Amino acid sequence: MTRVRQPSAQTAAVLQALAKDPGQWRYGYDLCAQLGLRAGSMYPILIRLADRGLLETSWETERVPGRPPRHLYRLTGTGRAYAASVTAAAPGPLTAAQRPQPRLEGA
Amino acid sequence: MPILLVLAVLLVAGTFAVFRGKADGGDAPARITTLAATWLPSHRGEWGIAMAAELAHIHGRARRWCYTAGVLRVALFPPPRHAGRVVVVALAGLLAAAAATVAAASEVPTLSVFVAVMSLLLCAYLTGVAARAERPRPTAPRVIVGAVGLAGVAAAVAAVVRIAAADPTATTDSTHVFSILSALALIGYLTLALTPPSLGSGVNRRLADGVDRRPANTALWWGLAAALAGGAVWAVAALADPAAPGGITGLLSPVGVATTLAAAVGASAATGSRQAGAQAGLLATVLGAPIHFAVDMTMLLQLHHYTLTTAYDVNAYAHSGYPDVASYVLSDALAGSILAGLVLYPFGLLICAVVGAMAGTRLRRLAARSAAHPTA
Repeated sequence: MTRVRQPSAQTAAVLQALAKDPGQWRYGYDLCAQLGLRAGSMYPILIRLADRGLLETSWETERVPGRPPRHLYRLTGTGRAYAASVTAAAPGPLTAAQRPQPRLEGA
Repeated sequence: MPILLVLAVLLVAGTFAVFRGKADGGDAPARITTLAATWLPSHRGEWGIAMAAELAHIHGRARRWCYTAGVLRVALFPPPRHAGRVVVVALAGLLAAAAATVAAASEVPTLSVFVAVMSLLLCAYLTGVAARAERPRPTAPRVIVGAVGLAGVAAAVAAVVRIAAADPTATTDSTHVFSILSALALIGYLTLALTPPSLGSGVNRRLADGVDRRPANTALWWGLAAALAGGAVWAVAALADPAAPGGITGLLSPVGVATTLAAAVGASAATGSRQAGAQAGLLATVLGAPIHFAVDMTMLLQLHHYTLTTAYDVNAYAHSGYPDVASYVLSDALAGSILAGLVLYPFGLLICAVVGAMAGTRLRRLAARSAAHPTA
């Protein structure tokens, strides 16, 4: 059996948040707000996941007047499998870092 | 200290003036985020744009500043593409730094702190370069600027080592302030020479994309020419009258101001870009400072007879504890050159670079206007 390398608690939380509705594209700041992570932690996680081919990125096609298009994220097939294996390997209750936080206003 | 504070305020105000209006008229977090996004390595460029775009959808001053702080962190310490390579570079650098420090402690003990700090900073720089994994195409001006920067810093270090070897007492630094300050300044100059910043202009992005290199190259050429011209003036002055009281220190300010202004005005007038002018002025300063320091210290070392020329020095020497006049004069000149030549004057010259950059673009506009409406 292949041993799943355990990611950090924050990366696991991001993976679980993205895996909750894997078909849906998510915004970076929405993920920050949901998980209570700062941008300085969230973006390096997203970058590493994308580098490893676990995260698919895209640009918003629906334009909001006066605002630039946003970057969108969702798990790839490999990413979904990895998220599932991470969840299976660590089935314990969510830690404080993993627990979803109330959505911030203005996000 | 108050002078440094005033200079810092002027520099920040000038920099904001230069980059005013470059972030689609956004607030301070928008400007900082846009600027920070350009610092990312080119292969992370999309993430910079993504982070900057996300800010437009964040409301509330506190949240925008908080988000901007996160973007700054990512821009300064982007995730490395090859983490293993970074660890190898860091470990090799630490080993080399330890070896250099041990060698310095044995050969020139008074410079051991200077060598330790300098080699650790060099290790940090190389680790940072490995982490960014960016290999910009080596253009001719980039290579020459890097080589001149490296030569200037090497000459400055060599001059300090020669003083330490000739007169160890002159380089005694019980507080380690001057050792740390000079190491910080020299590695800072080397970093800026090897990786010249674009100060957040679109020039950097265009350079990375290989679309238009001209403004960036023009800035590099102007900065290089100004620094070499300044170096030549200092060298000729030192050779013409090596025994002049005060050496070439007195020429630092006028020549430095003239070359920095010339580089900034010339580059911004040639390209129409204030950023290119500021970059050229900055480059003239960072390349010129170590050259001046090296020339000044080398010429001072050539003197074989040292005398105290002022009443202040006579009085200070009596209470200094130095064993002879030579040690006192060399130590005093070294400390003065570090403080003034490597730290204070270059800081002031950066203001000249910003002012010159603004003047250059204005000159270009005036020239264009008078060409469009020639007087009868």
